[in-house]
Amino acid sequence: MAPSILNRIGVLRAERGLSRQQLADAVGINYQTVGYLERGDYNPSLELAFRIAEYFGLPLEAVFSRQPFAPMSSQLYGKEESA
Amino acid sequence: MTEARPEHPVIAAWHRRPLSSRVGSRRFRRRLVIATYAAWLAMAAIVKLLSFGPLPFIWLSLLMVSTNIIIQLMWVERRTIINTPALVDAELDERLVQSRNAAFRTAFKPFALAALIGWLLATAATQLQPNSQGYLNSLILFMGVAMLATTLPTAIVAWREPDPTEPEPASG
Repeated sequence: MAPSILNRIGVLRAERGLSRQQLADAVGINYQTVGYLERGDYNPSLELAFRIAEYFGLPLEAVFSRQPFAPMSSQLYGKEESA
Repeated sequence: MTEARPEHPVIAAWHRRPLSSRVGSRRFRRRLVIATYAAWLAMAAIVKLLSFGPLPFIWLSLLMVSTNIIIQLMWVERRTIINTPALVDAELDERLVQSRNAAFRTAFKPFALAALIGWLLATAATQLQPNSQGYLNSLILFMGVAMLATTLPTAIVAWREPDPTEPEPASG
């Protein structure tokens, strides 16, 4: 079984108040595929991963990772404290 | 004046029903796959039993053909993402294309085996029993292979597709 690619699509979508359907329409995929991506049931192609990252205006590694993500809040405030 | 041809793919797309993302739970779909093939086998057994009675061959074959048509309409003519084997690429995203291709790959071997065995048995049936029983056995085998050819890829997608995602709360 291929190693799963983790992502922050659900968090980013909630942050921007987007429905699955809106995101699906924006990146040209099926509504269910967004759900499967969020749930980790499907690993996107590189092309789709780039399309999603570009849609959110973030670098690829901010949306997808092979390692578990640290919480965004701790990443954000952790950096501010160390600066 | 040029007349618009309704069979043109662009025009046909205007009249295409929208693709549904409603897929039902995996458990429901798996039960449906088992029930479909069990129903076909039961019907084949009923037709075989009826063949020992007074019903003529033409009615028995019509019964078998109509069973196949009903099952094939149920499985192939719907427009949901489970029916990806019957849909064109333009309607599918990359995941659905992968799912469809994997289903065709998986279906190929069992179908090829069933077609080969069906052909051998049907030939044997008509050679060894050159009467209505032999022709009926041959027809049942042919219908079985025909049903696998049209429904097996869709049944494989229905079996494999994960549970649908939870519905989102309505935004207000």
